[in-house]
Amino acid sequence: MELQLGLPLPTHNFIEKFDLNNDGFDPKDDMVGLKPWNCEDGYLGNKRSFEVAFGKNIKGGSQELPLLSWSGQPNDEDDWKGEKKISCSINMNDVEENQVVGWPPIKSWRKKMFHHQHQGVHVVNRNYRMVAGNHENGAGSNTRYVKVKMEGVAITRKIDLRHYNSYQTLTNSLTSKFAKCQNLEKDAAHFTLTYQDRDGDWLIAGDVPWQTFTESVQRLEIVRNAG
Amino acid sequence: MNYFPDEVLEHIFDFVTSQRDRNSVSQVCKPWYKIESSSRQKVFVGNCYAISPERVIERFPGLKSITLKGKPHFADFNLVPPDWGGFVYPWIEAFARNNLGLEELKLKRMIISDECLELISRSFANFKSLVLVSCEGFSTDGLAAIASNCSFLRELDLQENDVEDHRGHWLSCFPDTCTSLVSLNFACLKGDVNLAALERLVARSPNLRSLRLNHAVPLDILQKILMRAPHLVDLGVGSYVHDPDSETYNKLVTALQKCKSVRSLSGFLEAAPQCLSAFHLICPNLTSLNLSYAPGIHGTELRKLIRHCRKLQRLWILDCIGDEGLEVVASTCKDLQEIRVFPSDPFVGNAAVTEVGLVALSSGCPKLHSILYFCQQMTNAALITVAKNRPNFTRFRLCILDPTKPDAVTNQPLDEGFGAIVHSCKGLRRLSMSGRLTDKVFLYIGMYAEQLEMISIAFAGDTDKGMQYLLNGCKKLRKLEIRDCPFGNAALLMDVGKYETMRSLWMSSCNVTLGGCKSLAKKMPMLNVEIINETDQMDISADDRQKAEKMFLYRTLAGRRKDAPEFVWTL
Repeated sequence: MELQLGLPLPTHNFIEKFDLNNDGFDPKDDMVGLKPWNCEDGYLGNKRSFEVAFGKNIKGGSQELPLLSWSGQPNDEDDWKGEKKISCSINMNDVEENQVVGWPPIKSWRKKMFHHQHQGVHVVNRNYRMVAGNHENGAGSNTRYVKVKMEGVAITRKIDLRHYNSYQTLTNSLTSKFAKCQNLEKDAAHFTLTYQDRDGDWLIAGDVPWQTFTESVQRLEIVRNAG
Repeated sequence: MNYFPDEVLEHIFDFVTSQRDRNSVSQVCKPWYKIESSSRQKVFVGNCYAISPERVIERFPGLKSITLKGKPHFADFNLVPPDWGGFVYPWIEAFARNNLGLEELKLKRMIISDECLELISRSFANFKSLVLVSCEGFSTDGLAAIASNCSFLRELDLQENDVEDHRGHWLSCFPDTCTSLVSLNFACLKGDVNLAALERLVARSPNLRSLRLNHAVPLDILQKILMRAPHLVDLGVGSYVHDPDSETYNKLVTALQKCKSVRSLSGFLEAAPQCLSAFHLICPNLTSLNLSYAPGIHGTELRKLIRHCRKLQRLWILDCIGDEGLEVVASTCKDLQEIRVFPSDPFVGNAAVTEVGLVALSSGCPKLHSILYFCQQMTNAALITVAKNRPNFTRFRLCILDPTKPDAVTNQPLDEGFGAIVHSCKGLRRLSMSGRLTDKVFLYIGMYAEQLEMISIAFAGDTDKGMQYLLNGCKKLRKLEIRDCPFGNAALLMDVGKYETMRSLWMSSCNVTLGGCKSLAKKMPMLNVEIINETDQMDISADDRQKAEKMFLYRTLAGRRKDAPEFVWTL
């Protein structure tokens, strides 16, 4: 699919109606209480860079973007001439490890669905990334290993439940793990995932919310469906 | 019209239903004001603190239906501390005390307690409809009160609320005589429900048209329910981890075949592939589909499903559908009007959609006018193309997961792209932006976004000018919310009268100071200027040069609110 540049990039047409000479705003008057420009601190003029806003140190060497300038617009010499800004790129690993309050702007209960995702490797989705293992994530350990046995298979495996965020991701992963080394059919419809909870009872996985499940599961077993 | 008796005028006004139109009617002359006010049944209060309940009751004594909104929008994203406010109790208490014949209550972002729910259930004999959106403060006990006492209940619709779940007995509280239910939505409840009671309830509700279940309703029960309610128009299903055995599957297919009226489908917190494929049966008739709660569904399964949905008008989906999937949407869903693409992973670099998907949608869907799009990256070229393809956007919300990311190809700010959007989409009413943005984008918005009513800004702009262009230019602006932008007192105080023409302004992590806010509050007594102070160091007599970390101001006829917690100061 080709992207075409549709509208011509806006030029002086946009500025004609708005006479900047008369708007009377002097940038110097605006700087009440603001720190002076200092890119080393991470301040881009008046604007805090992303890293400074969230207390991250800019990991060096990633300032590759060209200088932005306002040139080419008539009537704007008063305000923008000579103002150059340096844009620093965001180091993506930094952003991952530090969660910005309220970003991305999705409702809290949606975010709870992602609760388990940021602690390990994603198995679903083609965009999975290796995330650094040493996350501070509040109380609790970072791993949740349980044994998984499959009916008819001699070897018991061990998996870290923190790597999954839903029953579907768990069953998909288990299916591919066991099918690989056992030459079994990949069709998950013939198997049922069961688990032993804290009380020692064996239950079918999927009846309780995912989070409740991960808190109470002790071990897993994949059984063949009867018939 | 002056010679018509009041009853005739009232009858004519009955045909005027929208609140805006009725407001206009009431401003024509005094007699019209009186008649309109005494006959208005439906009232919308966009900010529960803008007016007192007593005043509303005084003006609209015939009130039967009210919508109230509480917390600021950014409360959805944890920017507002709990207990900030938005309590509905005083309203209900006033309605009850004044013997109002309340029939419908719709709340958004408010706090409602079990006691309040019980008060509602006992005070209004004709109570018919309760819709709670993003509310909290109640448990299933409150729902039990509503179920037990509201004999004519038609609608109980719980959307995305935080409900304390005391397990499933509330459903059993609907008496056997209750047969009036039209709409029941308990999808947001986390706990179990009494499945037998649910089945019986559905069986005795011949008017049931909308049913949204929670995750705890298994497939075999769903199938039985569908057999009893073949006239459903709106269906929300549960969570299906395992593919069903063939008997259950066949029964499900049979049940779905009978549901010829289903136009809206949602739920699916988990959906095993074979289970999902059973629903392909109802896809051809669907106009609304919400699969945004299911991070485990593979892109391939989603694409398979979408190909059956030719009549779709509204789609909420996760980005695991990918750009490829959006291209399928664009080629299949020619009636699409609204789409929301949510992130399945909130971290930068992991979003599976880019500008490619957005351009495909804009090109393939001629009726598309409302979009919420979380993506990994964007380019000016793409936005310019989208603007050219789709000048009919009324709501355009773009969220790039890295909020200051520039054009992914040219590394320029996205000013030109968003400029093109506001220039082309002359009917744009709501806008959210992200990515690297300078003051220039605000210049464009101020110049071109004449119909803009609500705008959300984050990590954008360079100087006060940005905010000034906005306030100067957007004549119809009602709600402005800003976070992490370098706008300070000069912008805030430029045009203080403007805020009386707006519902509210939110500014957090900007450069406005306590002094600036105090100055504004002094000049504008009809505004409540509230500072949310979450740190211990600051107190009201603190240095005025200190930054006001969170400020929320709104116009009001009710004066400063009396229920503000300690950490909220009204200046």
